[in-house]
Amino acid sequence: MRVALEINGDDYARDVEPDLTLLSFLRDVLGLTGTKWGCLTGDCGACTVLVDGKPVVSCLQLACQAQGREVTTVEGLETPGGLDEVQAAFVSNGATQCGFCTPGMVMSVEALLRTNPSPNEAEIREALAGNLCRCTGYSKIVDAVLQAAAERRSAVGSPAADVS
Amino acid sequence: MADVFIPGSLEEAVDFLADHPTTAMPIAGGTDLLVDARTGRSRPERLVDLSGLRGIEGFELDGELLRVGALTRIRSIELDAELGRRATALVEAARVLGSVQIRTMATVGGNLCHGTPSAEMPPSLLVHDAVAEITGKGGQYSVPLAAFFVAPGRTVLAPGDLLTSVRARVPSSAAGSCYLRQTVRWSMDLAGVGVAASVHVEGGAVSNARVALCAVAPVPMVVTGAENAVMGTSLAPDALAEAGRRAAEACSPISDARGTAEYRRQVVSVLVPRALRIAWLRATGSWPEGSPAPVNGVWTRE
Repeated sequence: MRVALEINGDDYARDVEPDLTLLSFLRDVLGLTGTKWGCLTGDCGACTVLVDGKPVVSCLQLACQAQGREVTTVEGLETPGGLDEVQAAFVSNGATQCGFCTPGMVMSVEALLRTNPSPNEAEIREALAGNLCRCTGYSKIVDAVLQAAAERRSAVGSPAADVS
Repeated sequence: MADVFIPGSLEEAVDFLADHPTTAMPIAGGTDLLVDARTGRSRPERLVDLSGLRGIEGFELDGELLRVGALTRIRSIELDAELGRRATALVEAARVLGSVQIRTMATVGGNLCHGTPSAEMPPSLLVHDAVAEITGKGGQYSVPLAAFFVAPGRTVLAPGDLLTSVRARVPSSAAGSCYLRQTVRWSMDLAGVGVAASVHVEGGAVSNARVALCAVAPVPMVVTGAENAVMGTSLAPDALAEAGRRAAEACSPISDARGTAEYRRQVVSVLVPRALRIAWLRATGSWPEGSPAPVNGVWTRE
């Protein structure tokens, strides 16, 4: 089956098995291994990517169901200046340990901040309920999200803030 | 490996499913089906991908009629402010289903058609007298949602039948609803007990009440006895306790990892009164608008 979609701003088209998951399409067909292969049952969130800006677990979506859609993976976050605010905040807060859950976490946070630029701790924990970390616990991850949100708000800036 | 058929219309989907009754299964969000396929619980040879079909996604409120398309994502229910006011229990059930990712993918129709006894959507639809609207090879027909579920994993749908929407009656004033559940974990867990309640209040008394349960019987169930216990009352403690007692008697839970049958009955007897009480407070304007029910329905302020 021919699957054509946009990933991180680039168009891709490949002939694949019809029941291939989006996760396998990204990792095995395209070599985009930032998205992690975890539980394969939608529980751990390690394979989280954005489809049309919304977070999905790519292990439970067929590649053909993403036909014509815009997919964003962790590889698509990096800016010309380096890591984006969320990635940088995970590093500076020590919000990673083995790092396996981190790409999925970061993608869920990206989705959260796009719709809620000022999340509180409860909202952050709810947004990350589907992303399991078995190393660090979640305190530093929550700290990283709070910092990333603050930095993104100040980077975007409001006219009033610019004047002051 | 399964083949995937992508129908161009509802009719094409129905025809394909009817032509392959033993081998084809419809897929929408995939959050139940692909887990089942991966764990060996089902082995579909052909998947009919409904996710691109137009016309059965989204919901609309027309007066007191709520119609929810089968392809409506759980997440879009959760985030709708108008539904939060008018069908609060439905929104509360949507909020606790899976994770943000799962809710973004999972559909209302899939949650109903998978037939899981603990599925989150049925109780909150049952308390609004929901009716399943189905398209099959022979045309369209409707089934009360209370008669839609046959056994764990089984519904009335015959091969080739597709649930297209659910319609429900959502009163516009003097009504309130609530969904509460008991879980082992707060997130990413199935209900050990799920309770939805709705009440309509006229002249300081309950003029209509609905109580529905999940995860405590082979199929989601309406508890008429509990409803009768509070009809015409102003939800005094003895009426609430009687509703809880009747619900606990009416259900038939099993013992599993989420609790023993005895424990589940006990939880039903506690959550039914709490859900009714919160529904009443909402119906009478005594509950802060937009404020979700607290975990397990325990609150300290009225």
